Amino acid sequence: MDPVTINILESTMVSICRDMGIVLMKTAYSTIFSEALDFTCGLADMSGDLMAVADYCPSQIGGMPLLVKCCLLEIPTSDINEGDVILHNDPYRGGLHTPEHTFFKPIFVDRELMGFSVAIGHIQEVGGMVPGGFCGEATEVFHEGIRVPPVKIKKQGEDNVEVWKLLLANVRTPRVNYGDLRALIAAVDLGESRTVQVIRKYGKAVFRETIRDLLDYSERRMRAELEAIPDGIYGFRDYIESDGVDADRTYTIEVEVHKFGDSIVIDYAGSSSQAKGPINATLGVATSAAYNAVLHMTDPSIPRNSGCFRPIRVLAPPGTIVNVDYPGPEVGGNTETHPRIVGTIMGAMADAIPNRTMAAEGGTHSNLVFGGADAETGDFFICYDIAGVGWGGRAFADGNDAVDSINGNCRPTPIEVFETRFPWRVEYLAFDTDSAGAGKFRGGVGYTKQMICLNDEIICSQMTDRHVFAPWGLHGGKQGGLGATLILKAATKEWQNMSQAFGKKSTSRYSNVRITKGDRLRLVSPGGGGYGEPKDRQRELIVSDIKQGNVSLTGAERDYGYSEEQHEIL
Amino acid sequence: MRFSENGLYIERYIKCGNCGVLIYEKKDQQILTHDGVTYCSQWCIDWKIAREKRRQEARGER
Repeated sequence: MDPVTINILESTMVSICRDMGIVLMKTAYSTIFSEALDFTCGLADMSGDLMAVADYCPSQIGGMPLLVKCCLLEIPTSDINEGDVILHNDPYRGGLHTPEHTFFKPIFVDRELMGFSVAIGHIQEVGGMVPGGFCGEATEVFHEGIRVPPVKIKKQGEDNVEVWKLLLANVRTPRVNYGDLRALIAAVDLGESRTVQVIRKYGKAVFRETIRDLLDYSERRMRAELEAIPDGIYGFRDYIESDGVDADRTYTIEVEVHKFGDSIVIDYAGSSSQAKGPINATLGVATSAAYNAVLHMTDPSIPRNSGCFRPIRVLAPPGTIVNVDYPGPEVGGNTETHPRIVGTIMGAMADAIPNRTMAAEGGTHSNLVFGGADAETGDFFICYDIAGVGWGGRAFADGNDAVDSINGNCRPTPIEVFETRFPWRVEYLAFDTDSAGAGKFRGGVGYTKQMICLNDEIICSQMTDRHVFAPWGLHGGKQGGLGATLILKAATKEWQNMSQAFGKKSTSRYSNVRITKGDRLRLVSPGGGGYGEPKDRQRELIVSDIKQGNVSLTGAERDYGYSEEQHEIL
Repeated sequence: MRFSENGLYIERYIKCGNCGVLIYEKKDQQILTHDGVTYCSQWCIDWKIAREKRRQEARGER
């Protein structure tokens, strides 16, 4: 093993993956890529194992090896030629959820296959029941949009026109989709050409040997991390409030973490049977969520590749909420159930490694999707709007304020862009006072976004959570604030939730509600749970929170025993 | 995963009854059956039996 070459090559490959993401961001048409960065770029070896990945969307990082391996079981490497680009989004063949489109391109050097350049991106419009893909009331995968098995969208450098036509005939925004799909291809093109340059520089033998050593190195680092965790079986449960279809049923995520020696088994047996509605996770999601949780609880300097996943075994029984069987709906599994699984694993490990876990975060991306015909231009528009949440408090710091949930790492679209691209005007956007769970280290704060509809009609759907079960605290910390979605119809004075306004079974998961000009929508994101006893919080931090509006005087008195009298003296 | 003879569609989705991995017929994967359930490995069969036994004991059942 040559540690210097390993380090240089690993850094170079990560840099290539970052550049792939920048190309994707700069060339895409939709805000989900250009602003939110809901994608991941990586490099895989010939067997589909991850060699390097950039720090974009964690949901897709852990899912990438399974995705590529499943594709290679259907399209063997002997059938893959230079210049091919393979596309896939099938949630039942290693995929994450229907919107997540995986592109990968073989890396050939002197006609020898050396690996794959991979980009996974969330295509915001995939057809199906609702504009924007997130049908909160879907009961089968066919409601959720077009399903694409592994197919070649390019063959030896030439577009496979029939595939393009089929894809673009099944979505509401073909021009935007075309641009986004091209952006993903541009990303894998860049990854392929740059990696070829690197392999030529070092030589094929050195490249292969170094990759093998790199993955082994990551594995050793991960095993050393796991070895330091006390052996034992650690369990935890968390709950999902609704599936949007079966109003009276709640769903359990149950996790047992078996830690023995230098490896770990994450067993989801005992989790609820799969839901009728679209909150089911796929196998790819269950696997990715386990990896995501472990990566959050271990040394972040371990190179992220398939080597560090080797000591982790994931058991996701089929037909459950963590491993949906065909043709169950699944679009919310990747956005809502994934962070709930991560939180449940962290909850299980909270006593074993208290310094490396955190209280529950908001655990939702809000996932408001909307579409309609622009009254001025006549063009059909669609948006997938992501909102941040409060993260959980930790043993050493408050939770992050108002950032995307733990599996997304995405950015909310800036208001200026949002208002330019879509017929809404944002009237209000601010942190919510007292939304953070109190604690020695408080949870992160959530926020409220209120906007007014400027179009004759906009069709909205949503797949969110935490309207009923608040994010839990740890080690004496208090729970965070709940989320909400409310509508004030034009010429009325009463804010209503979606059940009140439209008779929906769930306030957090619904589809195809008609918003008209002058209606206002208010989205409240949940705050994070607190960590440690509130009485142990430093006074200076409480004062700072009051000054910044994160905590009210009333809240400080209630949660921290902080009096108004003390505040006046200060 | 059982594909149609012409290879154009999937006739049956096959998963391991314990870990849930996809099992592709006619590929280099183990396919074991225990109590009418398909598994990907003996390890998975043993784990499922051990888990059930452990949980029964925890519930005070014999």
